[in-house]
Amino acid sequence: MALFQLSLTGLLAWGLLCLVVGCISVVILLHALAISQSAPVPKWRHQSSPVHFLVVLGSGGHTAEMLSMLRRMQLDPIKYTYRTYIVSSGDSFSATKAVEFESTLVERGAAPGSYTVVTVPRARRVHQSYFTAPFTTIQSFYSCLLVLRGLHSDQQALPAELPSPYPDIILTNGPATAVCVILAARLLRMYHYCLRLLFPARMHFHARSMAGATTHRSAPLSDEFRLRTIFVESWARVTTLSLSGKILLPFADRFLVQWPALGGKSAWKGMKKTEYVGFLVD
Amino acid sequence: MAHQPRKLCFVTVGATASFHLLLESILDPAFLGKLHRHGYTNLLIQFGKDGQHLFDDFVAKYPHGHTSLHDITVEGFDFNHAGLDNEMRLAKPSENRSSGLVISHAGSGSILAALRFGVPLVVVPNPTLQDNHQEELAEVLQTEGYAVWSSYREMSSALDRAETLRTQMLGWPPVSSAQQKESQNLEGVVSEEMAYLD
Repeated sequence: MALFQLSLTGLLAWGLLCLVVGCISVVILLHALAISQSAPVPKWRHQSSPVHFLVVLGSGGHTAEMLSMLRRMQLDPIKYTYRTYIVSSGDSFSATKAVEFESTLVERGAAPGSYTVVTVPRARRVHQSYFTAPFTTIQSFYSCLLVLRGLHSDQQALPAELPSPYPDIILTNGPATAVCVILAARLLRMYHYCLRLLFPARMHFHARSMAGATTHRSAPLSDEFRLRTIFVESWARVTTLSLSGKILLPFADRFLVQWPALGGKSAWKGMKKTEYVGFLVD
Repeated sequence: MAHQPRKLCFVTVGATASFHLLLESILDPAFLGKLHRHGYTNLLIQFGKDGQHLFDDFVAKYPHGHTSLHDITVEGFDFNHAGLDNEMRLAKPSENRSSGLVISHAGSGSILAALRFGVPLVVVPNPTLQDNHQEELAEVLQTEGYAVWSSYREMSSALDRAETLRTQMLGWPPVSSAQQKESQNLEGVVSEEMAYLD
């Protein structure tokens, strides 16, 4: 009985310890998220440096809206030297639209072969049960991680001029695949952030490379400032955020909304607010 | 008929969800009569993958030349994977066409296409869809003067309201208002995130 008592107290103690450690790590994580979201990215890049621009094409209406926005912003293929488009499996419409859009960039100076279309598994098919959805979501998430690291089987070797396998900018407007891509990007950035905490010595090297302009373009720690994420809420959302939007609100670096009622929202107190920017579609 | 310019009404229900309620109120002699009174000559319907039988039933019931058609030429197709730009263009005024009308489900893709073409637009939200944020979009577009918002039950009165809209349509895309800062476009936001030194 005494032994049982002892082990029960021991169990309780362990449970308590785990709870405390768990709570502390959640608090640290949320705090890190808040800092990372509100800290402005330091100026470190020259106008002429090559840029890898990644676009997530959701499906149907989302794709149509994304292409409408790319048209309106007059995406400059000379500034955004390399473009990657992520489409979901089975979505040939979006893949076709991406190729079609790229063909309009050729006359504006897009280099041949300066883009790629990558297909990732769907996070959740329409009518798929919520029981199996977590597994397919993990599969999709892993695939997105591969794309961001330039290792997906659909990807050719990235141009040698790109100093990093990571895209510099990630632009998306939902739905499920966008969630996977943005979370994967944040995970990679957290990895690089932890690397810097663990090996601060490498920071000196980095600081010098920043001061010395582009001589050390491939400085490994500049990766921390890549993978910037921009989420645009669908133009069809007038007073409520979409589910992807609600999930991504604390994670995206910039959260743009196109109707005034959605401006100024934040995930919780102290987090970055959504920005009302008017219509981005054409 | 050669002297009369053609006037086309294009109805689209989208590719993803079926919208039989709208199809039923469009494929109705009373609605065709109303179209005729407003000078329409053609009705073109994109009925979606489940709409074929409704359309076929209608054609079987009212063959070409039937008085219930009110001289309206009714045509239909399931979906066009290349997009609906060609169909939308048919509603634009040209040499032998007067300005027509687009009646659309409340999907953003179709709405934006119609606005881009500057064609008068009636937006009909689909009440059978869950999470119906389409109503909000349709409502705000009507309030701001871009489109007519209508229930699928009130298509006849929507035609009257579309004629009013035709006379006072707003341009698209809207000109950025003064309070919108210069940097607040997509290119500006992307550039900010690029963190350029120069």
